[in-house]
Amino acid sequence: MMRRIGHRRGAAILAALWLVAAPLLAAVGCELNDPDRDVRRLFPESTGYKTTYVSIARQGGEALLRQIEDRLGDKFQGLYETADVPYTMYQIYKGTELIGYIHGVNQKGQYGGIQVFLALDLAGTVRAFYYQKLTNREAKLLRDPAFAKQFVGLSLLDFEAYDPVSATARPGSKVAAIKNPAAGAEGDFKATLRAAKKNLILCDVFLIRPKTKG
Amino acid sequence: MAKKISVYQVAFKNLLRKKTRTALTILGIGLSAWVLTSLFGFNRGYESALNKDIDNMGFQVLLTAKGCPYEAATLMLKGGTGLRYMSESVFADILKNEEVEKITPMLMQAVFDPNKGESGGISAYLGIDPATFPAMKAFLEFRQGAWFTAPESREAVMGYEAAELEQREVGDKILIPEMNIEFTVVGVLARSWTQDDGTIFVPIRTLQKDFNQEGKVTAVGIKVKKEANITALENKLYDLPDVQVVSMAQVKTTIMSLVSTAKVMVFSIALIAILIAMLGVVNTILMSVFERFQEIGIIKSMGAMPWDVFRMIWTETVILCLLGGALGIGISFGLAKLTDVLIRSLLPYTPTGSLVSIDGRLALLTLGVILAIGLLSGIYPSWRAARVRPLESIRSEGD
Repeated sequence: MMRRIGHRRGAAILAALWLVAAPLLAAVGCELNDPDRDVRRLFPESTGYKTTYVSIARQGGEALLRQIEDRLGDKFQGLYETADVPYTMYQIYKGTELIGYIHGVNQKGQYGGIQVFLALDLAGTVRAFYYQKLTNREAKLLRDPAFAKQFVGLSLLDFEAYDPVSATARPGSKVAAIKNPAAGAEGDFKATLRAAKKNLILCDVFLIRPKTKG
Repeated sequence: MAKKISVYQVAFKNLLRKKTRTALTILGIGLSAWVLTSLFGFNRGYESALNKDIDNMGFQVLLTAKGCPYEAATLMLKGGTGLRYMSESVFADILKNEEVEKITPMLMQAVFDPNKGESGGISAYLGIDPATFPAMKAFLEFRQGAWFTAPESREAVMGYEAAELEQREVGDKILIPEMNIEFTVVGVLARSWTQDDGTIFVPIRTLQKDFNQEGKVTAVGIKVKKEANITALENKLYDLPDVQVVSMAQVKTTIMSLVSTAKVMVFSIALIAILIAMLGVVNTILMSVFERFQEIGIIKSMGAMPWDVFRMIWTETVILCLLGGALGIGISFGLAKLTDVLIRSLLPYTPTGSLVSIDGRLALLTLGVILAIGLLSGIYPSWRAARVRPLESIRSEGD
């Protein structure tokens, strides 16, 4: 009898935890899974970071959305790429000195959401590229450090001429030089370049330009 | 012809003589009434919201394979799978019980996805029976698409948050990593605020085949007939070999016990607030009686009986309490949403519906309680006033 009561109580706790856990599964925006660890990995010299939440809808509404779409060269699409998506911006500090930014975006991929994070210096130049999430049979090739390295040193200026609709870059440009290591993942490769350009535009709008003006 | 003086008019006019004091007393009673109404509303609202959440699970009893519940809980929290399987032969044993209305089998499978995060993560899939599960979860609504077109199709329905995370819409593909299996998304659910929001549903037969688990399930949801004795059913289910019974009634008890401590604390605070308001009423009326010592003496010398004086003072108390009570109830209705937000920020788990449920009946109950407290508080000052001796009081004017 005692064993049965023990089991009942255990089972009730199990189900209660299951019920309580439901809201924890919520996935909103695109955040670093483990910010403390990831910030230290992307900016080893950092001593701290500040997180801010922005959205196109709150910051500039429809006019800002049109402006971002024009710069991207593509419309925001589907159920999830909307003006009210919350963007999590990480400002990285060494002591009291701001040394860079980290920002990630969700991008629709062939088999799931792709999360592309960029670590930028204060001028908006890519220091590191990081796939936090990617589902593809050839994901291993795209997650190879050699692929990520191709983005290092690029900035929004390099991506400005990249057209995400036709997936073409100006011949001879740095973006045109980025090689796809996974022939079977061409769709996700193109999605990655669109995500990187969109990420750089958002960082420019929400982080770099306001700092320059200030 | 002399006009008869109404005791209510006199009481009301007396209160108006000290407007600030009266207003402050009414405010004090109002705040107590607000706390009381909100608490009564919370007491009722929380339980009904929790019941609704449990009803939304679609079944009242969940049968899983026996294992350590704590270990299973950890796996569930991490989105993993149950440790053990049950044979489908258990269905017949469950359906033998007259209390059972219908059942729905489920198979949870999880795979390690090396491309999630820095060091990989778990992707979980819930196999469900298209013939029974949607009917049991009739409250689930679709944002896009519908349930599977066939019981063994290679199709998936995604919960709201799972679809958002994977950026999936109807017609998109999903891939089970490391297994090279593709599914086509045929439905995206609207947000239900339950664990279903984070779930990827696929047909159970397809999942059983893909994972070589034919004839096996990880859980069976049991819908119990209305008016049936759930405890009796649970006892019978415990006799089945190697199964574990998770009753939603137990879940409710567990959660209610988790919040009961918070409830006791809040009720204690409310009790203190009511006591303070009560003392405020006694103080206000008593001061008023002392200030009108001579006046009461004159009234009595003019022929008023002790009961008339008692009634007059008591009426003042009742007016104060009625006005304060009405104010508090008005505040409760006006700030119900704010109270809801406040409670949500304080409690570890809150159900999805409205936590504070206030209606006319509850408002009347609160008004009744406040009135009873007022009548009780008014007894002593009224008694003191009724005992005033006319001659003594008139003479005291010159002292």
